[in-house]
Amino acid sequence: MKKVTAGIFCAALAMASMPVTAFADSDEMVLYTWEGMFPQEVLDGFQEETGIDLVYSNFDTDETMLEKLSMAKGGDYDVIIADDYILENVIKEGLAEKLDKERLTGWENINPLYQGQFYDPEDAYVVPYGAGIPLIVYDPEMVDIEITGYEDLWDPSLNGSIALTANYRVINGITNLTLGKSMNEEDIDSIKETGEKLLELAPNIRLIQDDNTQNALLSGEASVAFLYTSQVTAALAENPDLEVVYPKEGLGFGVMGMFIAGDAPNKDAAYAFVDYILRPEIAAQCFDYIGYYCTNKAADDSVNPALVVPDSVKSGEIVENVSQEAEEQYSKNWTEFRAACN
Amino acid sequence: MRRRRNGSVWMILPLYIFTLVFVAGPLLYMFALSLAMPNETHGVDWNFTLENYKRILDTVYLNTFAQSFKLAVTSTVIICMTGYPFGYYMARMSESRKKRAMLFLMLPFWVNSLIRLYGWIIILQNKGILNFILKKLGIIEKPLKLLYSYPAIVIGMVYVLLPFMVLSVYSSAEKLDWSLVEAARDLGASRTKAFWTVTFKLTIPGLLSGVILTFIPSMGLFFIADILGGNKIVLVGSLIQEQMTRGGNWPFAAALAVVLMALTTIMIILYRRITNVRELEGIG
Repeated sequence: MKKVTAGIFCAALAMASMPVTAFADSDEMVLYTWEGMFPQEVLDGFQEETGIDLVYSNFDTDETMLEKLSMAKGGDYDVIIADDYILENVIKEGLAEKLDKERLTGWENINPLYQGQFYDPEDAYVVPYGAGIPLIVYDPEMVDIEITGYEDLWDPSLNGSIALTANYRVINGITNLTLGKSMNEEDIDSIKETGEKLLELAPNIRLIQDDNTQNALLSGEASVAFLYTSQVTAALAENPDLEVVYPKEGLGFGVMGMFIAGDAPNKDAAYAFVDYILRPEIAAQCFDYIGYYCTNKAADDSVNPALVVPDSVKSGEIVENVSQEAEEQYSKNWTEFRAACN
Repeated sequence: MRRRRNGSVWMILPLYIFTLVFVAGPLLYMFALSLAMPNETHGVDWNFTLENYKRILDTVYLNTFAQSFKLAVTSTVIICMTGYPFGYYMARMSESRKKRAMLFLMLPFWVNSLIRLYGWIIILQNKGILNFILKKLGIIEKPLKLLYSYPAIVIGMVYVLLPFMVLSVYSSAEKLDWSLVEAARDLGASRTKAFWTVTFKLTIPGLLSGVILTFIPSMGLFFIADILGGNKIVLVGSLIQEQMTRGGNWPFAAALAVVLMALTTIMIILYRRITNVRELEGIG
C-alpha cells in the first residue's frame, strides 16, 4: 500500500513537473520594443491562437536595446523592433537571426519599397514594421501653384508661408534631392552648394518647429507644411481638404524593422509571431493603431488609406550617419539657413 | 568651545561637498568636454583639441552670439523702461493696494511659463484675439503676421522677465527715505528735479540689480525665440541645445557654453566696475 502511494506520488510529481518545465521553455515569447507598438487585440489574438505566453518588454531608446541585446549576446529576447540606423549595428554585431523564409508564409506580403535598405541590403534579417515619411501637405485654397515636389517649395509665390520641421539632416537631404544628389551626400563642397540652395528657401519660411507643426497649417499661420507622418495624419484628420504631396524627387523615410534575436530562447514562437504580424488583416490593425505607413503590401486595401504610399512612388532613401565633417557642414548649413529666415 | 566649532564645520561640510559635486564638477567636466573631439557615433573621443573653439570663430556661429546679445539688450531696455515706473509706483501705493499689486504680480508665477507663452500664441496668431479685435475695429483688413516675428519674441521676453525688474525696483524704492525727497522739495527743487537728483539716484541699485536679473537670463532664454519666433532666430542657447541633441556634438556644445559663460561673467564684472554698487555683489 505504501509503495503504491509512493509510486502514485512520484508519478504525480513527475507529471506535474515535466509539463511545467516544457511549458515554460517552449510557450513563452519575449517581445522587446517601444511601448505602445501593438494594439492589445493583436497581442491577445496571438496568445489565444497559439497558446504562447507573450511577454511585452519595452525600451525607451534604440541604444538601450542594443546595449541589452549585446550583453545578452543575442539571447533573452525573441522578437525585437527598432529603428533603421540601429539595425545596422545589430546585424553587424551578429545579434540577429538570419531569417529562414520558408518559415514565413507572409514574406511576399512585404512592400518592396521598404526593402533592400542600407542596414540589410539582401533582406536577410529584417521584416519592416511601419515607416515614417516626411511629406509636403498644403492647403489648396491658399496656394496658387500645384505642388508636386520639393522644388516647388522654392517658388516665390510661397513667400513667408511654409512651416518646416526641424530635422536638419532631412531638410538638407531634400535640398540634396532637388539638386539630384543623394540625401546622404558626403562631399563637403557639394554640401556647401546644398547650403547655398537652402539659403534661397529662407524667404519662404514662416516657421520652423518640430512639435505639432501641423497646427500652423490648420490655424492658417502657414499654407504649406513639411511634416512628419504622425503630423500628416493629424492634419488630415482635422481637415480632409488638405493636399498631400508625395514629392516627385523621391521620398526620404525612416523604417522600423522587426527581427528575431540571434540566440532567441524560443525561435519557433518568434517565427510564429513574425508570420502572424505579416498577415494582411493583422498588419492593417497594427498600422492603423501606430499610425505609421503600411509596409505590408497585402494590407494596403484594409488599412487607413492615408497610410498607404501610392504606387507611383518608386523609391525612397533613408537618412544615414555620415562622416563627422559632413555632419558638421550639414549642421552649419542649417544654422546659416535658420538665421537667414528672419 | 571646541565642540561648537567642530559642529559648525560638520554643518558647513555638506554645503561644500554639494558645491564641489554639483557645481564645480559639472563645470570642469564641461570645460574638459569642450577640449575633446566628437566621434562619428555621437560619442566623445578624449583627444585634446582646440578645434571646437576654432569653429566658434566662424561668422555663422559668431552671429548667434551677436543675435543673443542684441535680443538681450533690446529686451532689457524695454524692461527697464516699463518695469521701473511700475516698481516705483507700486512702492508709493498704500499698504493694502501694495498687497494687491504684489498678488497680481506673483499670480502668473503660479502657472508654468511655457504654458503662459502658449497663451501668447493664442493672442498673436493669424486668427487670434489681437487680429480679431483690430479687424472688428476696422483698423486692418487682412490679418497681420504677428506671430513668428522679432517683435513677438521681444514681447515674450519682456513678459517673462518683467516681474524680476519690478520686484527689484520696488524693493529698492520701498526702502527709500522719502524725507530726503521732501527735503529737496523744501529746498526749492522742482518735482522732476527732485526725482532725478534724489529718488532716481537712490533707486539705481534696484534698477541695476534688475538689469542683471533680466539681462543675464535673457542671454540664455532660447525657448521663447523657438516658440514665439518660430525658430527663425538662432540664439546661442538654441544652438547649444541643437548640438546636444540632434547634432550629437557635445564637445562643440560645451565649447559654446564655455564661451557664453565667459561672456556673461565678463559682463557682470564690467557692471560691477562701472556701477561700483556693493548691493550687487550678492547677485553677481
